[in-house]
Amino acid sequence: MSLRQKLLLVALCTLALPVAGWLYVRQMETLLREGQAQALVASARAMARSLVVVDAPLPPAGPAWYVERTPVPITVDGYADDWASLSPWAQSFGRNTKVMLAEDDRWLYFYADVRAPQRHRADAGDRLVLSADHLIISIASGEDAQRYLLASAAPGPTTAIALDADAGVLPDRINAQWQEDGSGFHVEFRLPRGLRLDRFGLGVHIAADGDNEPLSADSRPLLDFSAALSQELSRLAPDGVRVRMLSPDAWLMAQSGKLALPDLPAAERPGWFASLVYRSLLATRLDDDSAWAEDAPRVDLPEVREALQGKPATAWRAGEARGSVVLAAAMPVTVRGRMHGVVLLEQPSRAVPLLANRALFGLLLTSFAVLLVAGGVLLLFATRLTFRLRRLRNAAERAQANDGRLDGPFPLTDATDELGDLARSFARLFEVVGGYTDYLRTLASKLSHELNTPLAIVKSSLDNLDHAGLPPEAEPYLARARDGVARLGALVRAMSEASRMERAIAAAEAEDVDLADIVRGCAEGYRALAGDRRLETELPGEPVPMHVSPELIAQALDKLFDNALSFTPPGGWLRIALRPTAEGADITLSNQGPPLPAAMQGRLFDSLVSLRDKATPGDAPHLGLGLYVVRLVAERHQGTASARNVDDGVAFTLHLKGMPRQRLG
Amino acid sequence: MARSIAIVEDEPLIRANYVEALNRFGYETRGYGSRSEASNAFAMRLPELVIIDIGLGDEPEGGFDLCRELRAKSATLPIIFLTARDSDFDVISGLRLGADDYLSKDTSLHQLAARIAALFRRIESLKTPAASETVIEHGPLKLESERMRVLWNGIEIPLTVTEFWMVHTLVRFPGHVKNRDQLMREAELVVDDATITSHIKRIRKKFVALAPDFDAIETVHGVGYRWTP
Repeated sequence: MSLRQKLLLVALCTLALPVAGWLYVRQMETLLREGQAQALVASARAMARSLVVVDAPLPPAGPAWYVERTPVPITVDGYADDWASLSPWAQSFGRNTKVMLAEDDRWLYFYADVRAPQRHRADAGDRLVLSADHLIISIASGEDAQRYLLASAAPGPTTAIALDADAGVLPDRINAQWQEDGSGFHVEFRLPRGLRLDRFGLGVHIAADGDNEPLSADSRPLLDFSAALSQELSRLAPDGVRVRMLSPDAWLMAQSGKLALPDLPAAERPGWFASLVYRSLLATRLDDDSAWAEDAPRVDLPEVREALQGKPATAWRAGEARGSVVLAAAMPVTVRGRMHGVVLLEQPSRAVPLLANRALFGLLLTSFAVLLVAGGVLLLFATRLTFRLRRLRNAAERAQANDGRLDGPFPLTDATDELGDLARSFARLFEVVGGYTDYLRTLASKLSHELNTPLAIVKSSLDNLDHAGLPPEAEPYLARARDGVARLGALVRAMSEASRMERAIAAAEAEDVDLADIVRGCAEGYRALAGDRRLETELPGEPVPMHVSPELIAQALDKLFDNALSFTPPGGWLRIALRPTAEGADITLSNQGPPLPAAMQGRLFDSLVSLRDKATPGDAPHLGLGLYVVRLVAERHQGTASARNVDDGVAFTLHLKGMPRQRLG
Repeated sequence: MARSIAIVEDEPLIRANYVEALNRFGYETRGYGSRSEASNAFAMRLPELVIIDIGLGDEPEGGFDLCRELRAKSATLPIIFLTARDSDFDVISGLRLGADDYLSKDTSLHQLAARIAALFRRIESLKTPAASETVIEHGPLKLESERMRVLWNGIEIPLTVTEFWMVHTLVRFPGHVKNRDQLMREAELVVDDATITSHIKRIRKKFVALAPDFDAIETVHGVGYRWTP
């Protein structure tokens, strides 16, 4: 992983910024909401108190029957078809009975569905009716009250018989429809609204369950949606809030206000993206129950249930309008310690989401910008750092390739930071290495120079000794001494050859020649030297004109040939090939012989590297300069020298491009 | 009377060896250890031939200075340079300094003696009229063996003895390739190939300096050189 990637990874730390901001915005939103909730609870409490104080027609405490307004005409036939729209809000009674009450302009309808798998049938007139399955119905209108017995031995129309004495306006009998199915029976009847019933009681007596009070009925007040109470609510309700009065059973008694929010101008309306952001990042804690939206007669919400326990409660819900929320506060209404219902205040609001959205959006934008800026700055920094490091590395590599010497100053050495320190260390290191390399390079020639004088002394002394009239037995020693001096001289010459060659090569002058001619000439010259070894040439038919120094090329070829010859076994082959290339020409000298060891291939053309076995006594010393000269010649011609193993031998190639032309002038 | 030779050489052992050897060859030889010593002596009397080491004590090119001094005194005095350094061959410009020859200290005393003899012979032959002169002529080239002179279009090319012998070797059989060994043998020189190359180069330069279109010495790569008439 590069430095740049690492720093970019580090830059990801700035991602903590938006997260922290998001948490902060959430916190802020929660605080705002809490404040709003408290305010709404306060107004709900005030409202509950006012309702009591103004003596508003509150629903009675305790259980009651809720009469719904039927949207369709109801036919009294004992079947529940026409009650379908009301059936979700059927009121349970006892263990096995569901009761529905409905009204239209004229009638009050009643429907009961009793589950009684084991039937005991008897008619109302029957003597044993009280021990069979029957219903007791009680109704009251003001002071008047009456009870009726309702039973039927068979499905169809039946009549409920009054049990008590004549009771004013209340009828003596009620016509009802009785229907049965496998699991129980249904009863349906209606009473005129003119009776102004205010209580209704029901007793379900199933013979199979056993019953001690066959005439008992549970009488409860009748409730319905109260326009008067609604009026009262609308007087008290704060602006922009929907107020609903709920009975202790959570039936809707009165309602005032609407949830609708005024439409925002298009510019301020949150877009789908903002809403999405809001919902996904902030609104996760909203209840998405949408019961308030429906026109339900019973508002069975958690906060209402809680309020019915006597505790004020609040809840947040997603609003109908996109991006809005509804705050609901439920407050119990108690009169002298008795629960008369719950005031439910619902406040639709856009302010909080918008504010939060705006804050969140601002935060997102800011942190994104900060992220970009931080990333950009880090990237720039890393790029610069990498660039500097690369310069340093390149300089070091160049210096290393150049035997510790670098043309020009080492980069970055004037920087004040750690990289500058590193560069200075490098520069010092390479200075030392360069000095050492220079010392090594010149050691041989210096040494040979110093050795020349004593060598000349020995040589001239030996020459003089010749004429000193030595006894004949001294002659062999003199000859040996001469031989030794000659070898010493050769050694000394070889030692200084490298620097001499470098100088000569640097001073060489190029001319426009036919390379093929030179190679051909050299090859002809070598033929005599090859002896019994086979020398093949492979030259192009046409001339290969190039700008080279013929002496140097010949010299390099000499070295290569000398080298090749010494490794070629007697009777082996040598091949000189010249191939023009796109940029210049390749001269390859291959020969049969042992392959190059892999470890040596890179260093073969370095100075003082030799593959030969230790020189046999009497041979000229081998200091490994031959191939070094070849390399120098190749480099002088902007080329390279390379060596590789071929099928049964070795091939050395000079890749030449020609010497740069000197400007005339 | 024996010819007088002066040797200016800072190394006493070499100096002694040379002086003794040359005395043995029949010359009257004197050795000098420094430039000032030699200058003083030469102010009194000029020898007939001077052998000078290029590096003299603290003066790495003291020999050159001395040579210049001597040339100012006598235009014809034969001067031979002795060098310890191979690289000096590249430094020396015969044209510039007017030395008659330069030899490395590798050169044996025998070879040195041959050159001295040749130089004296050249001086002698210049004094006598060119009567029995062996002259080789090839186009613009005129080579007088006895006087060891080479003329190109009638202009004398100032070759050293060694260079003259090399040219002589090449010119005697024009068109024949002479390899380096042959050149070395003929020129009484035992040096390595690179030195031969630099000698040839210098010869060419000397010709080109006086005749810019000179190209009679041809390199035969891998073999040697030949004179193309």
